[in-house]
Amino acid sequence: MTATPVLRTEHLSRRFGGLNAVSDVSLSIPEGETVGVIGPNGAGKSTLINLVTGHLKPSSGRVLIDGRDLTGARPWVITHAGVARTFQIVKPFRGMTVRENVAIGILYGPHGVRRMSHAREQATRVLEETNLADLAERAPGELSVADARRLEFAKALALRPRLLLLDEVMAGLRHREIESSLELIRTLKTRGITIVVVEHVMRAILAVSDRVVVLHHGKVLTEGRPRDVLSDPQVVEAYLGHRYAQRRTGGS
Amino acid sequence: MAAAARWKPLVPWVSGVLLLLAALGLQSQLYSGQERTVTAIFMFVALAQAWNLLGGYAGYASFGQVVFFGIGGYFTAVAMTHWHLSFWTCLVLGGVVAALFGALIGMPLLRLRGHYFAIATLGVAEGIREVVTNLPGLTGGGAGITLPTVGDQATTAYLGNDGFYLLFLALAALAVLVSGLVAGSRAGYALRAIHQDEQAAAAMGVNTTRIKVLTFALSGLITGLVGATYAFQQVTIFPERLFDVDITVLMVVMVVIGGSGTVLGPLVGAVILQFLSEYLRQNYTSYHIFLLGAIIIVAVVLLPQGAVNYLRDARRTGEYSLLANVRRYRL
Repeated sequence: MTATPVLRTEHLSRRFGGLNAVSDVSLSIPEGETVGVIGPNGAGKSTLINLVTGHLKPSSGRVLIDGRDLTGARPWVITHAGVARTFQIVKPFRGMTVRENVAIGILYGPHGVRRMSHAREQATRVLEETNLADLAERAPGELSVADARRLEFAKALALRPRLLLLDEVMAGLRHREIESSLELIRTLKTRGITIVVVEHVMRAILAVSDRVVVLHHGKVLTEGRPRDVLSDPQVVEAYLGHRYAQRRTGGS
Repeated sequence: MAAAARWKPLVPWVSGVLLLLAALGLQSQLYSGQERTVTAIFMFVALAQAWNLLGGYAGYASFGQVVFFGIGGYFTAVAMTHWHLSFWTCLVLGGVVAALFGALIGMPLLRLRGHYFAIATLGVAEGIREVVTNLPGLTGGGAGITLPTVGDQATTAYLGNDGFYLLFLALAALAVLVSGLVAGSRAGYALRAIHQDEQAAAAMGVNTTRIKVLTFALSGLITGLVGATYAFQQVTIFPERLFDVDITVLMVVMVVIGGSGTVLGPLVGAVILQFLSEYLRQNYTSYHIFLLGAIIIVAVVLLPQGAVNYLRDARRTGEYSLLANVRRYRL
């Protein structure tokens, strides 16, 4: 643990009025690790991502990327520090083709390619990687749900990030589509990209995560190896309610 | 097919040059009234194109765009009258001053979006008009200011109808060229991305503030150049005319009718609207404004995306029905 973690949050908190959406979250994610973040609806998962990427400013606490304090920095600064993200609600650029959507990241990302022809070539390569090559000239509005999610993925990959934050890229997908997303995540893992996966699909989290963090009411409830975390009675209770947890553990 | 694809990028350049040559050739065929009408069309092509840079590509509709026009014009008037600079120096400086002003007000105002940005820019334009009106020593105030164009006071000889025809044509060509270069450039991608979703654009690494401010300044530069030329053409200028909100409205309407966010749209919109306005004025003098307004309303209802975008979509899908078009855009 002597190496500087790619992402580190220190006592990160964000309040919305009286609600502590994220409260006192301290995480340290070393290079190459894949961390799953789970938690019930409203646990603060998306807020946590938004705090890291600068789309929300923290009420208190710090965000360090590669040891650099980037607390409250603007989103494009975070992107240039090597962080890419997807949005839970897909945000395609509707007036542009699928290829152009991806080309933006290549033109403006940390590796800022200036030549349009180079950007277009590289965009094609990213689209091939994400199985979107056939749809390159389509408008994003014509894509299926699965392809639209994949486009979010492709846009993030266009930035060639060192840290990738995936906010529910598998929501609403069918079994086979989830498999192909997982396949993609595994490929990225082998390349040494550090990945944070926020997900509701538990099977997906188990399949790819080295470590799982459970958020509940904005706080870290527990963290650890995927199997251990899922059998943790606290986690079962947070997800399924107190009475269900009692029945399962046979407690009083 | 392959040969056609290779020549395709040249089409806009060739048609642009042909259009420019046609406009030059047309000049000798016009009598002076017609020449002035066509000159006004060139002026509005340049203005609509300038508005489109930020309003069309990035979706930031400035309703105070005329402020750059007024600043360019008044800078020229004041500098020629008080500081005895030549018109050509004033033209360049007037554009630069308008651009700097755009960057200056852009930094705070471009944090606003939609209606708020529109209202804030409108407020700036009205405010600057008041400032100009209340500095009679420098600007002549509400009574206006007359540029030195004759005798030994004149720093630059008056250009006359033919000269202004060429100068406004040059400005229109410059504006179309800039618009075309921006559309195909890196910056054009960023502006279109900002239009669709600013948060997502920032997440893709676009420094949204910088590109918006620079584009607003560029838009101000072109508008300022046009304003400077207009002031020289008019000789005597008044705050009510140089900061007239109607000029902003015309820019917006031309862009919307022609097709916002395209290179061709503002050009088409400006030509159509100016011709139509002139035709109606000559043939239906007493109610031409009413007719023009009615036609604009019908056009916006039937072609909410503008003529150029409608034709592009229709060619792609083979669906030319206007009713289907209205349904698709659900106004």
